[in-house]
Amino acid sequence: MNFSKDRIEWIIVALVSLVVLVLLPALNLLSPGSALHVSTFQLGVWGKYLCFAVLAMSLNLLWGYTGLLCLGQNLFFALGGYALGMYLMLMIGPDPVYNSPLPDFMDFLGYPELPPHWKPFDSFAFAALAVLWVPGLLAFIFGFLAFRARIKGVYFAILTQALTYAAALLFFRNDFTFGGNNGFTDFKTILGADLREPATLRWLFVASGILTLATYCLISWLLRTKFGKVQQAIRDSENRVRFSGYSTTSFKLFIFTLSAVLAGMAGALYVPQVGIINPSEMVAAKGLDVVVWVAVGGRGSKFGPIIGAIAVNLLKSYTTRHFPESWLIISGGLFVFVVLFMPKGIVGLPGQFRGLKAKWDARRASRTAEATA
Amino acid sequence: MSEPPLHRDTDLVLSVEDVSKSFDGFKAISDLTFYLGEGELRTIIGPNGAGKSTFMDLITGRTRPDTGSLKLHLPDGHDVDLTKFPEYRINRLGLARKFQTPSVYTEHSVHDNLLLSLPRARSLFSTVFYRQSTADREAIEEALETVRLQDHRDEIAGNLSHGQKQWLEIGMLLAQKPSVLLVDEPAAGMSDDETHRTGELLISLAGRHSLIVIEHDMTFVRQIARDGKVTVLHQGSVLCEGHFDEVQNNAKVREVYLGRGKAA
Amino acid sequence: MRLLAILPLLLAALLAQEAPPAEATDGREVREVLSDLVLGKGGEEANLARLGEFGDPLIEEVVAAWRIGGVLVAPGAPPDGEIVLLKRDGGVVELLSGQPYAGSPGEAKVNRAGRSLRRKLSRIVDVLELASPDPGFRADAAMKLGSGQNPDFLAELQARLPKQKQAGVRRAFEEAINISLLANGTEMQKLAAVEWLGDHDSVAGRDFIRKLRDNLEDEAGDEAAMIRKAADEALDKIASYEKAVEIKGTLFRGLSTGSVLLVVSYGLAITFGLMGVINMAHGEFIAIGAYTVYVVQNIFAAQFGAGSDGFENYFLVSLPCAFLVAALFGVLLERGVIRFLYKRPLESLLATWGISMIIQQLLRLQFGAANVQVASPEWLSGGFEFSGVSITYNRLFLIVFAGVVILMTWLLLRRTPLGLQIRATMQNRAMASSLGIASNRVNMLTFGFGSGLAGLAGAFLSQIGNVGPSMGQAYIVDSFMVVVIGGVGNLLGAALSSLGIGMVDQSLQPVLGPVMGKICVLIAIILFLQWRPGGLFPSRSRSLDD
Repeated sequence: MNFSKDRIEWIIVALVSLVVLVLLPALNLLSPGSALHVSTFQLGVWGKYLCFAVLAMSLNLLWGYTGLLCLGQNLFFALGGYALGMYLMLMIGPDPVYNSPLPDFMDFLGYPELPPHWKPFDSFAFAALAVLWVPGLLAFIFGFLAFRARIKGVYFAILTQALTYAAALLFFRNDFTFGGNNGFTDFKTILGADLREPATLRWLFVASGILTLATYCLISWLLRTKFGKVQQAIRDSENRVRFSGYSTTSFKLFIFTLSAVLAGMAGALYVPQVGIINPSEMVAAKGLDVVVWVAVGGRGSKFGPIIGAIAVNLLKSYTTRHFPESWLIISGGLFVFVVLFMPKGIVGLPGQFRGLKAKWDARRASRTAEATA
Repeated sequence: MSEPPLHRDTDLVLSVEDVSKSFDGFKAISDLTFYLGEGELRTIIGPNGAGKSTFMDLITGRTRPDTGSLKLHLPDGHDVDLTKFPEYRINRLGLARKFQTPSVYTEHSVHDNLLLSLPRARSLFSTVFYRQSTADREAIEEALETVRLQDHRDEIAGNLSHGQKQWLEIGMLLAQKPSVLLVDEPAAGMSDDETHRTGELLISLAGRHSLIVIEHDMTFVRQIARDGKVTVLHQGSVLCEGHFDEVQNNAKVREVYLGRGKAA
Repeated sequence: MRLLAILPLLLAALLAQEAPPAEATDGREVREVLSDLVLGKGGEEANLARLGEFGDPLIEEVVAAWRIGGVLVAPGAPPDGEIVLLKRDGGVVELLSGQPYAGSPGEAKVNRAGRSLRRKLSRIVDVLELASPDPGFRADAAMKLGSGQNPDFLAELQARLPKQKQAGVRRAFEEAINISLLANGTEMQKLAAVEWLGDHDSVAGRDFIRKLRDNLEDEAGDEAAMIRKAADEALDKIASYEKAVEIKGTLFRGLSTGSVLLVVSYGLAITFGLMGVINMAHGEFIAIGAYTVYVVQNIFAAQFGAGSDGFENYFLVSLPCAFLVAALFGVLLERGVIRFLYKRPLESLLATWGISMIIQQLLRLQFGAANVQVASPEWLSGGFEFSGVSITYNRLFLIVFAGVVILMTWLLLRRTPLGLQIRATMQNRAMASSLGIASNRVNMLTFGFGSGLAGLAGAFLSQIGNVGPSMGQAYIVDSFMVVVIGGVGNLLGAALSSLGIGMVDQSLQPVLGPVMGKICVLIAIILFLQWRPGGLFPSRSRSLDD
């Protein structure tokens, strides 16, 4: 039973990977006249969803498997985005208005030269590393303080929200050197490739697919090891784990940092595909959006967050197009419904139906037994 | 303070000396002194609020004493100051604790519960690369057998009965191969038969391990304390210590348990 | 509960008793004197002296009109035989009665004052406000004339000083005289003035003393040296006084910010702290309260007309409405969603967040996405100065109101049977219900009460901030912080922590600016939790896996 379940899972993963990594980019290569052609725009939309899926998986690692609800996962996502965004800004080159190599908002605010912390970001490698260590370091410091003080559950959730709130306040400021309100936009090239070329966008899409697959594999692998068992044990009874000789603080700290790094990578891939990053990505509501995706898809399951992120965003893009005013009501209502009636999300639905059916059968059986007795 | 006892030479495993702890002005433990001998089974009784659970919290590092010393005497002759270590380090030193309410990993199988309790690969990165050895497999089997859960090996722990969970937790403690076991109300919520079997199990553990058992149920206390000593805690310090019968006939103990009236 | 709802009303009524606005004098006498002056009746000197005693703005008008030919004399009925007329924008009026002139203005002759009379009149106009019946005007006018350091007015001020009976006005006159003396007095007078200004913490005099000090910098002589020394001492005194005022000002602003936090977070402290329920929709209950005020205001405006006396009372009526409406929504939320989630705090957080989005959007659809205008009633606008600190009525009201909220909650929890049941249920839900407490009902009422407090908070915020669909979001993080710092389940802790956070916030803001100040507060909170992870007053539970 276990064996076949695993095999089915791997077949699904392989098929989906094939579609995402090979089929969709290939269909994009077909001529636009063809019936099977997938437009670059659509590919971009799905690339965005894949980044969201990674973000959701990173939260699931933390919340679903370790029981730590972070309301600021979007902060790490945005930080990763900002880190790569800095590189992209420096790649724009001299702009026509000010004719200076500085990013345009710096010209606008009258900076004489590039601030020192910006300088190394003209190297892609440096920026790519920053995508990892900036969110990771922030999570490490914050997590260290929070877990050391044994802050968990609701308090952890609220403090992460406060952290996000503070960061958003900072990034909204013009003098914080990150473009204030408007953030970064109008990117032109990445690694020398033009960001408006379909080929570049196709590669970004494939990269998002690879990141999704890699994140999935990493989390699946961790779950199979004793590490994964400890992780889930912390969720169910942290004191027992601590009194079994494990330093739960270091486990939680590691998981929190890892999940922040994953979120940062997702953000870094997201930014060149949507072409903009600004502090509105950091507001509290976005952090809760991620929680919604995970909850709707099914937390504590491997596929749940991916399904949730994609399903909710599909629904969102449909609703905002057709009923723009009711999106918040629908998503709010959906969320309440899921919390109340689908504690295991979409992934848990079959199990829930089976449970209902079993209960119903049992009741009918007992009734017929009574009747015959 | 009198002369410090010669620990290792006089076969003690744990010495608690002049420990006090107060919470917001309330003295939960005051000047408590307590020694536990090697292989001893010590039962602690006392009315509600006597400080029994706080006492265990102090030993296991869950709370820190305001004053006094807590020392564990290792087989190699070294003394360890328990007040300096976090809980998980104290546990690794060989102190295992069973909580009052059964505390098992409800989403894991019985087998995994025991696996996580083995004293193997407990640091962060070693857990990632841990592979179960034959010795570990045997240790799990042994623990399963001791607590009679062989038939429930793959069952999810959350689905066990209350008594089975209590037993599983004891099994998890044993899997840790501790030198000192701290057991908080093991018989709570068990049937008479289960209680009796638990008592026999604890008695059989004495000798190989040192045990401190907190208990309310006097029938159970009579059973497990038939050879060992009983310590009565009252208002955060030791009221009296001795054999079960001595304690039972102690006038002070009767007064504490039966109220102000001179007990008949 | 009913009594509790009325309390803020009573309080508001008490506060509303403010000094009546100064009424202009009847004016008959002024008119007679002016008329006599124009017609040359009685002695000119006597008339001018009398005129100086009235602070009536009519004098200024007549004098101005006289200069430009706006004063006419028409033949009239005996006994006087002549009527003095005054040209106004709307037509010609009789000076004596103030009524429109019935006759033909064409028959009247323009009257002009002589040069010397004009000069004397203009002096009277300059010091007119020194005689104003309104003490505030008198004090302001004195300070204005004193600060001009014009020697002409010094005598005027000195002459009028003995007539000033009110301490505040008297002080203003003295201050003005002393400031004027700094420039116009003898050396000894200057010295005395410097000392007086220093002893009386005259912030207004500071710059004049400094100017005097600078002028004397290089001057030799004992007197100059004495004045210099006195000036330095006086400046020190004034500086330390200003420092004290600044601290008091920060205290007051901190207190009022703390009160905002307290009012906003108390409802949360009850629902979150006592019930363990994370109500992310708390901010939206605040918005509901504020919009209730808006709706009540509109109803009153339609009923009584905006600005009428009846309209002025709308705020008093809207307070209980805000409480009840928010409480009703709270009860609905508790019955519909939260009661299924008491054992799952994280889930209750998520579900209430969904609710908050729905409420926000509904508000947006109903009232529009833009902020709505809520007018402050007259008695909540304005303020006064108390030992150098300007205190506005709405902030003061808020502080008092915060006290009332604490008192109300305390009374409810400690002095009513419901309160006893609430406390019992909070401590041990299962135990309380097995003892026959209808915990369903208690939960519902507690949640309703907490939400009602949020509604009241919204009613007050409508007076000091914007009312918009997402107004609650601005307060939600802050109020959670208050509850976390205070220690969960502890209302005293919530009160202390909101005041503390308010104080820290207000002391940091002038130094760091609002955004950095806020960030520092957040960092301070996280560091604080390192020191006391359970907050100021941690709750202790006996269960081992909490």
